[in-house]
Amino acid sequence: MPQPLPSKEGSLFRQLVKNYEAKQYKKEGIKAADQILKKVPDHGDTQAMKALILNSQGHGEEAFALGKLALKNDMKSNICWHVYGLLWRSKKNYEEAIKAYKMALRLAPESQNILRDLAHLQCQIRDFEGYIESRQKMLSDRSQLRQNWTGLAIAYHLSGNYKEAEHILTTYEGTLKQAPPKTDLEHSEAVLYKNTIIAESGDTERALEHLETIIKNSLDRTAVLELKAKYLLQLERHEEAAQVYRTLLDRNSEYRAYFEGLEKALKLDRSDSASLEKLTELYEGYASQNKRNDAARRIPLDFLEGDAFKTAADEYLRQKLTKGVPSTHANVKALYVDPAKKKVIEELVLSYASEEKKQNGSANGETNGNISDAFEKSVLLFLAKHYDYTLSRNLDKAMEYVDRLVELEPKNVDYNQLKARIWKHKGETQKAADLINFARECDLKDRYINTKCAKYQLRNNENEKALDTMSKFTRNETVGGPLGDLHDMQCMWYLLEDGEAYLRQNKLGLALKRFTAIADIFEVWQEDQFDFHSFSLRKGQIRAYIDMIRWEDHLRNHPFFTRAALSAVDLYVKLHDNPDLARDGKPDLANLDPSERKKALKKLQKEEEKKKKAEADRKQAAQAKATAKADDGEVKKEDPDPNGETLLQTKEPLEAALRFLKPMLELSPRNIDAQNIGFKVYLRRNKLVLALKCLKAAQELDPENPGAKENATALRQHLNNLQEPLSGPVAEAIKKDFPSA
Amino acid sequence: MAEEPQPSNIQEGASDAPAPTGGAEDRKAAAALSSLDAQGDDEAGKKEVDSKAVEKAMKNLSVKDGKGGEAQKKAVKIEASDVNLLMSELELPKPKATELLRANDGNVLKAITSYVTPAFA
Repeated sequence: MPQPLPSKEGSLFRQLVKNYEAKQYKKEGIKAADQILKKVPDHGDTQAMKALILNSQGHGEEAFALGKLALKNDMKSNICWHVYGLLWRSKKNYEEAIKAYKMALRLAPESQNILRDLAHLQCQIRDFEGYIESRQKMLSDRSQLRQNWTGLAIAYHLSGNYKEAEHILTTYEGTLKQAPPKTDLEHSEAVLYKNTIIAESGDTERALEHLETIIKNSLDRTAVLELKAKYLLQLERHEEAAQVYRTLLDRNSEYRAYFEGLEKALKLDRSDSASLEKLTELYEGYASQNKRNDAARRIPLDFLEGDAFKTAADEYLRQKLTKGVPSTHANVKALYVDPAKKKVIEELVLSYASEEKKQNGSANGETNGNISDAFEKSVLLFLAKHYDYTLSRNLDKAMEYVDRLVELEPKNVDYNQLKARIWKHKGETQKAADLINFARECDLKDRYINTKCAKYQLRNNENEKALDTMSKFTRNETVGGPLGDLHDMQCMWYLLEDGEAYLRQNKLGLALKRFTAIADIFEVWQEDQFDFHSFSLRKGQIRAYIDMIRWEDHLRNHPFFTRAALSAVDLYVKLHDNPDLARDGKPDLANLDPSERKKALKKLQKEEEKKKKAEADRKQAAQAKATAKADDGEVKKEDPDPNGETLLQTKEPLEAALRFLKPMLELSPRNIDAQNIGFKVYLRRNKLVLALKCLKAAQELDPENPGAKENATALRQHLNNLQEPLSGPVAEAIKKDFPSA
Repeated sequence: MAEEPQPSNIQEGASDAPAPTGGAEDRKAAAALSSLDAQGDDEAGKKEVDSKAVEKAMKNLSVKDGKGGEAQKKAVKIEASDVNLLMSELELPKPKATELLRANDGNVLKAITSYVTPAFA
């Protein structure tokens, strides 16, 4: 039980809680806490509240010590345990936090706050059994709230218990005296949510039945129609499905998924030549309805062959090029996987280029000079892009065409950008960076070209220049300047390219720093879902919430994460093999003899100190400026390790690599590079079973992969040179799965 | 260049809201709009909730919970030492290691082999 306080201090304590909730930390909160503690120095609850405030102010260590002290002083206070849980949670140690919450809840079973915090945490770590239990309690405490019913249903749904989830929702619906008004968004969403649960349980028949009963009153017209079409198709009620897809296409005739659905509903098979005529007819029908429709004109190019393809492609390309659509090439380049189609397109556009010349010489060339000019330019642009594209690359030709364009308009941003791109593909990063900078200067207000310019500069290893370019569009008064803002804005492409550029220059600390920043951003995204466990329920947007939860579960299969992770893990492995790398680009000390090494080290140390001092001075000046501005309560800390030196000097590089490796292996198992690098890490950590798992996966993905072959040899060697032979199930498993050992 | 005609039943910009002009009328409209958004934010009682019906529903729920709650788990003997082995060799958290063993009838070797075999989704 909480220790009693004298009445004056009692009211002060209530004030303190209020201060905390209102985020009045500095003046009121801490002051009130100290005042109480002066009278009652060992008052646990007050200490706990003070710890909470300290934590919010960014004094994590201090807060934790105080939180523990509070607990010692008052083991039976639910406040102390609750605060202890909150502190663990802010350290992201969710297991400990849950334990603390549970203790707090035992001491104060009726506390809604603790129960809610516990439930959200359980959902966050996907402890669905615990979540169901907490949700059940919340429901029995306040069963009048619809939210609590829906919350319990969500818990069951996420744990895979569809039947119970549906049952809960139906039970609540049964308690409604009268049907809620049509405008009740929460109701409309909840009912639709129930429908998706039924469908996910596999009972499409019943899902359709249920959908029919709600279709009239549902506010999300698109969603119900899409679901209806999907169910009908699944139930093989083709004619009805086709009808719904046609309705959907009337609403949006550019959405490819509807066309796909319609094709299936009409039982048209693209690979079957008998269907081709009907398919053509279908798309012609939609194309004739709307002259500006792109989908109905572009899709047939996917399935048409031979002369029919040529005619359709000719029409399509002519229309786009006459209009001067700059993305024409991007629209058709997907067709290049078929060499025949690639050839036809190339021939067609080349013929436009030559016929254009003839026309220009004719008498009426002057009257419609503008149109043919535009046409000519877009043809040239198309050809330049065509020969730049990886499947049809001929960089010299591409350069020829783009030069003609640049000649026509020397200050055109797009033409110069394309030319820079061709230089980049030729491997001339310097020329590319210079030229794109020229393009940028043609239009200083164009953010797109600015961004591209920074990227090309990074590809040319000009990190500082690139940051300067980026700073034209960042908020430079942020703590940490432009780079700080790029971190805040989670500008991942930049961090990634920056890191890779540093890696190429052997500045390993900075490279690792950037890759770590990427991993941090993904962590923030995971953390971000926390608020939605309650927010989405309050807003009644359940379907979107479920989508988000599922997306979070495979968040780290994002290509950006994989790219950063591959580089980072590789770097850590190298660091493990050669710890001297931690000196970061400094002379290779391993090869020097002892006396010289000492000298070199001393010199390095001196340089380091000098640099650090200069850095510190600079920082102080910057901080003085920044703190003057950042007065909104949240003080942002200066990064104590801006160059990643501490990161690099880790004593356990292989353990540090796991942060990148584990999500990658789990979520992008089909990436062979990930499997190969995973093998290297596990072999070095002497986790042979896991190494074998990576090796087997790589071999399955591509038996001829050189990396996998190399790793197989490495494993064999390792097994042959073991100091003491393996024993137990591990040995057996390896013998079984790696018989050549 | 000549603009392509649009279908006759489409009127450009028709569905767009008029641009704000900043008058008092607009501010009123904006306030009304934001209050729309606030719906559902406040506590219960606003909606017609039949508390008796809710109570009854709750009772039914709890009866049901008592009856058929716990799904019977397969009775498999799990050795603690096996779990520890999996935790260290496969670097799995305890619940996952236990689950893996259970799925393989408590046979460590089977558990390891099945874990090592690549399974691409």
